[in-house]
Amino acid sequence: MTDYDAIVIGAGAGGGIAAGVLAEAGKKVLLIERGNNLTFESVGRDHLRNQRLSHYGHNAGPDIEGNPRTHADGRTIRPHEGGYQNNAAAVGSGTVVYAGQAWRFMPQDFQMATLYGVPDGSSLADWCISYEDVEPYYEKVEWELGVCGDASRMPHLPEYQKPYPMPPLTLPHKSGVMQNALDNLGWHRLRVPRLINSVPYLDRPACTHCQHCVGFACPVDAKNGTQNTMIPRALATGNCTLQAETMVSELLTDDSGKITGVRLLTEDGQTEDVTADVVVLSCGAVETARLLLNSKTKQEPNGIGNNSDQVGRHLQGHYYPGAIGLYEDVMYDGVGPGASVATTQFNHDNDGIVGGGMLCDEDIVLPIIFWKRNLPPDLPKWGQANKDFMRDSYRRVIDVKGPVHEIPHPDGRVTVNPNMTDKWGVPVAHLSGTTHPETVRTANFMRERAFEWQKEAGAIKVWGDEQHLRLSGGQHQAGTTRMGDDPQTSVVDKWCKVHGHDNLFVADGSVHVTNGGFNPVLTIMALAWRTAENIVETW
Amino acid sequence: MLSEDYMLILKSLVNCIIPADDYPDGWSAGVGDYLINQFEGGLKDKLETYKSGLSAIDEEARAVYEQSFAELSAEQQNQLLTQIEAGQIKSTAENLPLFFVMVIEHATEGFYSNPENGGNRDGIAWDMMGFEVTQ
Repeated sequence: MTDYDAIVIGAGAGGGIAAGVLAEAGKKVLLIERGNNLTFESVGRDHLRNQRLSHYGHNAGPDIEGNPRTHADGRTIRPHEGGYQNNAAAVGSGTVVYAGQAWRFMPQDFQMATLYGVPDGSSLADWCISYEDVEPYYEKVEWELGVCGDASRMPHLPEYQKPYPMPPLTLPHKSGVMQNALDNLGWHRLRVPRLINSVPYLDRPACTHCQHCVGFACPVDAKNGTQNTMIPRALATGNCTLQAETMVSELLTDDSGKITGVRLLTEDGQTEDVTADVVVLSCGAVETARLLLNSKTKQEPNGIGNNSDQVGRHLQGHYYPGAIGLYEDVMYDGVGPGASVATTQFNHDNDGIVGGGMLCDEDIVLPIIFWKRNLPPDLPKWGQANKDFMRDSYRRVIDVKGPVHEIPHPDGRVTVNPNMTDKWGVPVAHLSGTTHPETVRTANFMRERAFEWQKEAGAIKVWGDEQHLRLSGGQHQAGTTRMGDDPQTSVVDKWCKVHGHDNLFVADGSVHVTNGGFNPVLTIMALAWRTAENIVETW
Repeated sequence: MLSEDYMLILKSLVNCIIPADDYPDGWSAGVGDYLINQFEGGLKDKLETYKSGLSAIDEEARAVYEQSFAELSAEQQNQLLTQIEAGQIKSTAENLPLFFVMVIEHATEGFYSNPENGGNRDGIAWDMMGFEVTQ
């Protein structure tokens, strides 16, 4: 007799969905989260300590002290510092503070190796499932959590079976300008779908168009994450126990190597072993890999799921090339969140380029972030000229950018550092390698498209950083337990079940073979739903 | 914490970075309060760098103009800082171009971030830019 039917580790985008689906199917679920419950007040609106600008701290975890990672360059990195590749640690995780861009991947995103071949040195591969396999779950998430958008105008995708449940958000003035430019260029023009209530939906109000969306919690709870949808639904069944501020140090097995449960560590230093029939890992691409690598058995001495040395490899995220344009006229009208108009013209079929990406206009940029990241490179950094630009031009600047479909490299990876432990005494994640150089080439191609868009819209001056080779994964981390039919080259099967195990699943971005040229959260949620539903159906 | 002498140099430096026009200079808008808060928080480990950097700037002022940096005219201050930024002034005490860039980062954090951090008093910088906050 086990303590629970299922243990879900990590209450973020994937784990929150998995817990909800399992609990509503009558399974007794323990949902474990190392972070805490957040509120609008606890997240706050500190412009120097948030998930967008975290030099002095951040607002959604994990704790700055006691949770280090190390990097191959010798650094020991704290969670708010660059290179940590942080995912929020909280009930709902990043979905509490995200922008909620709710993109489906394209059919082509699942077939990258077939479409483009495999660049030398990369681990580019096809998914072993297709868009059609995921489509019903995209739709489910769009309706069960709530997505606003215009499904009639998604020219890069097969026709939707059902529209979005809500119309798009109010169009800010600057987005209208950028939309006209797309029409003039003859590029795909569409509205950014978002996990935000544009009208009251599922008993919560509509967006109030504030200026603090991305990086902060919603003042009226109109932003749809797992913390205000599937986790409350799970708890409402009476079948789900949510245990926050709890770390899982390792997976437990019997003598045959079969998963039997997990070892918990609580903030007050207690250790507890809990058993379950099924374990679902939803810790994010860095922490899921770390947990598997820290769970060593006689049968899998290098970590559970790691007999083929695949766990932790192919770490991906998103490069974000873009362009910033200065205009004669005021473009800013203060209507948040801001990112409203996109083009998918360049996600695929770019001559001589592997893949591509989406471009869209950006959410409202906070003044200090604008100063640090969006000023023209030739502007003096101090003195009257700098102050004049802030005064005269903040409202005359439009920022466009977008995520590039990364070409993975097997050596861009997460391992475990045996010489350093966190505050719980668990060996920490160690990051090394880079993405593949083709990612950089695609990113710079997309940067040029962003420049073209700005110029067409009438920008009198355009600037934006060139992209360079580095390890990605800070934004939209993925890929470290990739999905595949062959256990030699992948970690989980098409149902996101770890190869060689009957009762161990992954429900987060780790399973993504490649990460699409889009924000990945809708795909994480859809796959988690599909995985959990399959667990129930094959119980 | 910084002594009165250091504070006078720092105030002049901040006001060169964010000078007064029909909106206040950085110090009047609370950048000093921001920095004082941060010297006991996120910039605690930078306090000694501030002391040696401010001393080095002041020494340069005395070497060139035989006056403290704080006593120079705005024009003289700006000229000195322009030379520092361009790496034209060598100091053995501190990497002055890097120090100056760091102070610029910190001063603008105080001026443009939310007033609760001590600077941007009453949201004056946001008024200047036209960044309005609604719920």
